[in-house]
Amino acid sequence: MIESQRHSYHLVDPSPWPISGSLGALATTVGGVMYMHSFQGGATLLSLGLIFILYTMFVWWRDVLRESTLEGHHTKAVQLGPRYGSILFIVSEVMFLFAFFWASSHSSLAPTVEIGGIWPPKGIGVLDPWEIPFLNTPILPSSGAAVTWAHHAILAGKEKRAVYALVATVSLALVSTGFQGMEYYQAPSTISDSIYGSTFFLATGFHGFHVIIGTLFLIICGIRQYLGHLTKEHHVGFEAAAWYWHFVDVVRLFPFVSIYWWGGI
Amino acid sequence: MAEIELKTAPADFRFPTTNQTRHCFTRYIEFHKCVNAKGDDSGECEKFAKYYRSLCPGEWIEKWNEQRENGNFPGPL
Repeated sequence: MIESQRHSYHLVDPSPWPISGSLGALATTVGGVMYMHSFQGGATLLSLGLIFILYTMFVWWRDVLRESTLEGHHTKAVQLGPRYGSILFIVSEVMFLFAFFWASSHSSLAPTVEIGGIWPPKGIGVLDPWEIPFLNTPILPSSGAAVTWAHHAILAGKEKRAVYALVATVSLALVSTGFQGMEYYQAPSTISDSIYGSTFFLATGFHGFHVIIGTLFLIICGIRQYLGHLTKEHHVGFEAAAWYWHFVDVVRLFPFVSIYWWGGI
Repeated sequence: MAEIELKTAPADFRFPTTNQTRHCFTRYIEFHKCVNAKGDDSGECEKFAKYYRSLCPGEWIEKWNEQRENGNFPGPL
């Protein structure tokens, strides 16, 4: 903290990233619509927008790391911001996924006459829940246990051990995503096969997407732990990743029980 | 002079709601299951036909008959 400063808040410098991120989002949206309607240049604008967003994410987070880790602006008071932010973000994610489970339950609890009043609809091949889905279900909670191991290692100041624990966490995450990919590859139905396929792939696919986001978040934490960015007293980024990861691993139980198992037999 | 008796399907406690779509569909299926099991002229299935004909809109019946002919009827027959 700068000597002359008499408060513990971080007054940020002006930054170009909010506007660059907004322009990237605008280009992505317009480009995405153009691409999906086969307009000329749609794919180019979409790619440009996505590259712009990825670039903004990189440089913005790079700035935050410099301000927090290197310049020490993230005092206890400042840390409250990202903590509340992370929690509220996860709450909104819960609501987001809740909508897809709602859609799935809405369609399967009282199947309409149009699909013959039965679930799964006639002719739709479903996966055996006791094969890959069951094998894949304990992997994410195990990974959640491994991230707790990493957390304890950080709190105990065991820096190397924390890296090993994060490698274990990320490895389990990758195994889980690999199984999910294999399952999709071998699946007897697609997202365009009736309301069953729509709800199944929407819910499991968005969950899988969140697993991938959480994995990237943990990989970043592993790299930062390796570089010595995280300390016993200050590791908000890791805590946010761990909270997010627990959200993702617990949520896996819902599709397994309600979509694969109850909805597939 | 004989009175003409007008009757609709009896109330069925499986379908207590105002919306009787599922009732109509179930009676349609029950009729065809009955015919499949007991044959066309057993006389036992006629009551189901009366029920679904009084409950279901004509277009639905036409559509389902077509689907059964084409082998893409979605119901559990």
